[in-house]
Amino acid sequence: MKISPFSKTYEGRCVLDFPGIELQHGRIYAIVGANGSGKSTFAKILAGILRPDKRDRLFSGGAIGYMPQKNYAFRMSTKANLLLNGNDMARANALMDAVHIRHLANKRADRLSGGETARMALARLMMKQYDLVILDEPTAAMDMETSLLAEKIIVEYVKKTGCALVLVTHSLQQARRIADEVLFFHEGRLLEVGTAQQMLTSPEKDETKRFLEFYGF
Amino acid sequence: MKTSLMKAIELIASMDAELLDILSVTAQMSLQSSIIALLIGLPIGIWLGACRFPGRNVLLVANRTLMGMPPVVCGLLFYMLFSGVGPFRHLRLLFTVDIMIMAQVVLITPIVVGNMETYVAGVAPAVRETAKGLGLSGTKTFLLLCSECIYQIISAYLLAFSRSIAEVGAVSMVGGAISWKTNVMTTAIMQYTNRGNFSLGVALGIILLSLSLIVNIVISLLQRRLSR
Ligand SMILES: Nc1ncnc2c1ncn2[C@@H]1O[C@H](COP(=O)(O)OP(=O)(O)OP(=O)(O)O)[C@@H](O)[C@H]1O
Ligand SMILES: [Mg+2]
Repeated sequence: MKISPFSKTYEGRCVLDFPGIELQHGRIYAIVGANGSGKSTFAKILAGILRPDKRDRLFSGGAIGYMPQKNYAFRMSTKANLLLNGNDMARANALMDAVHIRHLANKRADRLSGGETARMALARLMMKQYDLVILDEPTAAMDMETSLLAEKIIVEYVKKTGCALVLVTHSLQQARRIADEVLFFHEGRLLEVGTAQQMLTSPEKDETKRFLEFYGF
Repeated sequence: MKTSLMKAIELIASMDAELLDILSVTAQMSLQSSIIALLIGLPIGIWLGACRFPGRNVLLVANRTLMGMPPVVCGLLFYMLFSGVGPFRHLRLLFTVDIMIMAQVVLITPIVVGNMETYVAGVAPAVRETAKGLGLSGTKTFLLLCSECIYQIISAYLLAFSRSIAEVGAVSMVGGAISWKTNVMTTAIMQYTNRGNFSLGVALGIILLSLSLIVNIVISLLQRRLSR
């Protein structure tokens, strides 16, 4: 799956200049970088929510699933939120079990807590199959145990559907656990690409080294 | 004062024929005009709130201007168009309930539009982002947007309805406040007060206030449901 180069400018300031990349099916790509480095902008453009500066087709074909950094719960039950994205009741129940929200199935979804909303949104997305899935910090609002749970179902989903998955994350540990490749963003540019192990043990760029130091690597 | 109040309550209790006629004309006018205003204003309000296009701001300013239009100006406009010298005189609509409904629609549709636009503009970006992120169809996204707005739709309608029963300037000009024909609650209150017959006026006032109370209780209940 080939993604063409694109850029995004806000008020004359270029916040993202992406050189393009070839995504493989069945692989997980982690996007890491500091606040404001353009990760969410990248995710939104890929998902077709935002328009890049030049309106070319970014990539050819395929269904895209996208989970925003801020998730929205529709004013209906948690179960109904899942069923918006497909009507397989058994699958909805299995997904709610997987992220431990089965007990919230009949609760109004817009009254869930932040972490519960994130779990609901992840389960809702996974009701359907996509060729490319983009998750913008899906586990940021989750506790450690739930994060690990989410990682597990993300990996399972990729294995089962064979989609390519882009995972924006602030957790390098998470990237190391589940990502096949890590893309390091710095001030709107893709600075370095490599396997998680490679990036963590022998980063090439100084900015990457500095970023990693904060995490104790 | 005290006797008018007593007589007013008596009138209501005895279901005075003229009182009933006034109520029925009022209901006809207000229900019809508020439903038409909803049918026109709802899609426009959702469209203005959910979509960004060149000229949108111009439309918003125009709508706000219409929201602030004095009812008598609206009445004047319709009077000129439909009176003996106006271009639509052959329709013979002046001093009918129909023309009162038309004038009301012009007055209250902007209220529905403005009300919906503000609310939709608040929820549409998140709804659209989420729906697009899941890959839902355009139709499904639109229906979801509407269902997220359902309480707002009801409250916009009630607001339009209560404006419509309380309005007096435009309807008295184009309707003429003809007894047993185009006299509604507000115009009747004016008329009877001018004649020194307070009791019917007070009776109508009581009914108007009670209606307004009920509508506002419903709106506030809806708003309580809206706030999370
Ligand atoms: N609508 C907008 N208008 C102007 N500037 C924007 C807009 N959206 C984002 N930006 C800017 O673009 C840059 C990149 O934002 P982005 O949301 O992509 O960062 P991020 O890497 O996702 O950060 P975080 O880790 O905090 O989520 C930031 O400097 C931000 O201020
Ligand atoms: Mg972000």
